[in-house]
Amino acid sequence: MADCRKIFSTFVGLSVVFFLLVVDSPALGVKKKENALGDKVQQLMEWSSKRPVIRMNGDKFRQYVRAAPRNYSVILMLTALQPQRQCTVCRQANDEFQIVANSWRYSPSFSNKLFFASVDYDEGADVFSTLKLNSAPSFMHFPGKGKPKKGDTFDIQRTGFAAESIAKWINERTDVHIRVFRPPNYSGSIALGLLFTLIGGLLYLRRNNLEFLYNKTSWGIGALCIVFAMTSGQMWNHIRGPPYAHKNPQTGQVHYIHGSSQAQFIAETHIVILLHAAVTFGMVLLHETAVSKGDVGKRRIVTLVGLGIVAFFFSLLLSIFKSKYHGYPYSFLIK
Amino acid sequence: MAGESNIRTALSNPAGWQSLLSFSILALAYLAAFSSRLFAVIRFESIIHEFDPWFNYRSTHHLVNYGFYNFLNWFDERAWYPLGRIVGGTVYPGLMVTAGTIHWLLNSLHITVHIRDVCVFLAPTFSGLTSIATYLLTKELWSQGAGLLAACFIAIVPGYISRSVAGSYDNEGIAIFALLFTYFLWVKSVKTGSIFWAGCTALAYFYMVSAWGGYVYIINLIPLHVFVLLLMGRFSYRIFVAYCAFFILGLLLSMQIPFVGFQPIRTSEHMASAGVFALLIAYGFLKYLHTHLSSLTKSEMRSLFFFAVAASAAAVLMAVVYLTYAGYVAPWSGRFYSLYDTGYAKIHIPIIASVSEHQPTTWVSFFFDLHVLVCTFPAGVWFCIKKINDERVFIVLYAISASYFAGVMVRLMLTLTPVVCILSAIAFSNVLERYLVDDTPKVHHIEDESEDDEEGDKRNKSKDLYDKAGKVRKIRHEPSGEPESLGGNVKTIVVMAVMMILMMFAVHCTWVTSNAYSSPSVVLASYNHDGSRNILDDFREAYYWLRQNTDDHSRVMSWWDYGYQIAGMANRTTLVDNNTWNNSHIALVGKAMSSNETRAYEIMKALDVDYVLVIFGGVIGYSGDDINKFLWMVRIAEGEHPKEIREGDYFTPQGEFRVDKAGSKTLLNCLMYKLCYYRFGEMQLDFRTPPGFDRTRNVEIGNKDISFQHLEEAYTTEHWLVRIYKVKKQDNRVRLDHTVRKTDIKPKTKFTSRKSGKRKRGFIKNKMLIKKGKRPSSKNKKPSRKTSSKK
Repeated sequence: MADCRKIFSTFVGLSVVFFLLVVDSPALGVKKKENALGDKVQQLMEWSSKRPVIRMNGDKFRQYVRAAPRNYSVILMLTALQPQRQCTVCRQANDEFQIVANSWRYSPSFSNKLFFASVDYDEGADVFSTLKLNSAPSFMHFPGKGKPKKGDTFDIQRTGFAAESIAKWINERTDVHIRVFRPPNYSGSIALGLLFTLIGGLLYLRRNNLEFLYNKTSWGIGALCIVFAMTSGQMWNHIRGPPYAHKNPQTGQVHYIHGSSQAQFIAETHIVILLHAAVTFGMVLLHETAVSKGDVGKRRIVTLVGLGIVAFFFSLLLSIFKSKYHGYPYSFLIK
Repeated sequence: MAGESNIRTALSNPAGWQSLLSFSILALAYLAAFSSRLFAVIRFESIIHEFDPWFNYRSTHHLVNYGFYNFLNWFDERAWYPLGRIVGGTVYPGLMVTAGTIHWLLNSLHITVHIRDVCVFLAPTFSGLTSIATYLLTKELWSQGAGLLAACFIAIVPGYISRSVAGSYDNEGIAIFALLFTYFLWVKSVKTGSIFWAGCTALAYFYMVSAWGGYVYIINLIPLHVFVLLLMGRFSYRIFVAYCAFFILGLLLSMQIPFVGFQPIRTSEHMASAGVFALLIAYGFLKYLHTHLSSLTKSEMRSLFFFAVAASAAAVLMAVVYLTYAGYVAPWSGRFYSLYDTGYAKIHIPIIASVSEHQPTTWVSFFFDLHVLVCTFPAGVWFCIKKINDERVFIVLYAISASYFAGVMVRLMLTLTPVVCILSAIAFSNVLERYLVDDTPKVHHIEDESEDDEEGDKRNKSKDLYDKAGKVRKIRHEPSGEPESLGGNVKTIVVMAVMMILMMFAVHCTWVTSNAYSSPSVVLASYNHDGSRNILDDFREAYYWLRQNTDDHSRVMSWWDYGYQIAGMANRTTLVDNNTWNNSHIALVGKAMSSNETRAYEIMKALDVDYVLVIFGGVIGYSGDDINKFLWMVRIAEGEHPKEIREGDYFTPQGEFRVDKAGSKTLLNCLMYKLCYYRFGEMQLDFRTPPGFDRTRNVEIGNKDISFQHLEEAYTTEHWLVRIYKVKKQDNRVRLDHTVRKTDIKPKTKFTSRKSGKRKRGFIKNKMLIKKGKRPSSKNKKPSRKTSSKK
């Protein structure tokens, strides 16, 4: 019986303690939470003031991104930057991500509501497994409250990872508007400047003999280059960025000519440039031999060669066109 | 006798033959240009094509009915509801005025023609004029022979036909003529240096400004020409006079067009011309000083002159840059800027990027539109550079800049086409001129020029004329410096081969014109296996239905592509149309189309929409329908309302745009989807496919159970191509879409005593009895509760 009582009393005592604890804990917990949150934010601010993208490993990720008391959003890039991973896309994505993070870091509206972080596969492989990710790079948004939803994973496949589209996505998810400020790309201007100084220097060095400026052949070749480049669709290549050629994964056969008239490969446009140039060359040859002086027999041969070039390459061009434009009925010399 | 001898001398005079030949060749080229554009009229009927021409036709109609001043002051309240559109101030009136003038002329000659026919045949008429203008320009640049060849080329080249078939009543149809004529007059004034020709250039430029926004190209190319001439050290007072007169007159004249207004002095597009003008004046002034400061030595003079010119050029540049930054001059507008920075439009102006003719050009479309000319015209560039002079600098600059622009935008192929024709004509004529010389039998050489018309002639006439002409032609002894003959056989072979290629070109042009560019796109045609033709006239059917069956002031919502057609054919008010001046309004329509029905109804109520019209090609496999355009609606809507519309929602998680079961829920429930596929799920097109099989996208649709709450189907055309829905007026009471939860659990009937005889209620046999304290079996839970509550 005594045993019983003892047990009972301890039970009561325990329950009192328990009760006290239960009563006490909310106030204490709030304080702790606030403290924890404040610490976390402070820590994150400190890091992000050092570098705009905070590098994290598994522990930090769990503590600062996953753990509950949060009032800030985290944009996390999961990547594999180590050289042995050979992920070139990751590098490009990383550059773009850095641009966004820097734009945010140095924007006037910078606050402690949004942080940028990155996890490298080699430093936190466990993060990848907890997030069930098996590809890099990918971007995720961890909202201030709750868990990431469907739209919180950035769709690289569809939108690409340009800084602008990342910023747009962030704006969608967090209502934070980041004006992307790209560090101006000086490489183009530098190249242009170099070119100009080169030309200028050349002109200066040869200032006594500027005859070459009046060389019509070089000007003519320059003009023809522009015309050939444009009429063969190099601008299309520049804007659409097609592959150089297509290799059929089943047969291993390489196609240089795109099958549809709506698209083209880069290799194809190079072929077309050559064909155009050949026809033009043939035309010029036909004219030159007719006006030149010299052995008649030789000139006859050159004339026929010129004509052959024009006819052959034009019909080749026509046959390529025919193979691309389905239903085109005509051909010349070559089917 | 005297008359006879006159005729004889005229016949033996080569100049007479030459002009007769060139006249007849030009006449034939005109005829070819006119008649090869009539495919659409012969196959279908005399009808206005496509989209923009319908607006032009409508405003021409207004001009003819109400007069010129009413046209200039026209406020169209039937477009852009509720905003309206000031048509007179937002349109290039040249086209309408031209058609109106022709109509007025014919009618005052008592040739009664309907204005529609004038509009339909305006473009072919002007193409004929274009070929004459091309002849004139090429003649100035190279030779008469090349000119005739160029006239023949441009008469049939598909790159130009694409914009000028009969019925394609659009600005470009007359603008290309104005462009080439301006260039011809400019070259003429550069050659002569007379104010008369420069004044004529300004007048032609004025016509161009009144006709097409592409006039900006002229006002940049001519200053570029002058600037390059200055750089090349080819300054002369001819150029000075020509440019100054042209610039001043052209500036003043261009500002008379209401739509252009003060733009020539307020926008960056025109600043190049002003800058070059200032530079030219400075250059002329320095040249003048030069003659007065003879005390300096020559080398001092030269360096001083050089630095003064460089300094003034820098000053002009700085001034323009300063004015732009200070805001006096508007920077480049997006449309022009996207030509320079090709990625610009895609990011910032989706509405420009959405138009298919603003896409870059593949080499296939170059070849398709220009055929052999595209690979021979560089030879023409080469010849021009080799024998450069002031006006050939112009054509080379034109060729380079136009090929760049054509590479960026398919649409600008149109400006490239004339220069390609001119330069290929030069190339061909330059070659043929050497091989057509008939010098084998004797050491006689016929004048070069008379051969030239022969090549042009070759394409139109038989060879006989040449021989006749040759026999009576004045023959000149070959100068001793001429190269030795190549021999008749080689020459014949070359000529034959070149003729073959040119014949291929003519055949290609006819094929392309007939197959690709002669569809009115208002009326569609499909061909059966036996070659018989079905006409699908759904568009006009639908528009006519609207015209007949709806209230005169009812407002029709559709995507902007069909705005002009609805206004032109159905005469109903539209919300947005092809004049895409108000992006946010278009985005609002796009938002309505891409939201769900309830949200869309709110927008449609706000915009007073009475009818909604969609184009649906799933039944006949028409690919240009609204579902295929739908992503652009989403994108444009997203641009203005990024909170509500997100492009990503309309894709599957794999990033695909699908209308079948795997498609995204947002897509399957948005208004556009429902409007297109309403009751389509019940329709089985043939036995091989399931019901609701979309022929355009070749899938079975994902949402077959579509019902409307705020809309009702008003009309669907024969082939389902156009579907019109009526927007219901708002209900007096808003119905809830779920059943009201019952809070009243008491029986509605009053308690009646079983004992009162007649109204004794029936009872249920085998009624389950509930005993207190016993749990009923779970199967009968519900009835038990009911019974218990009754108790």
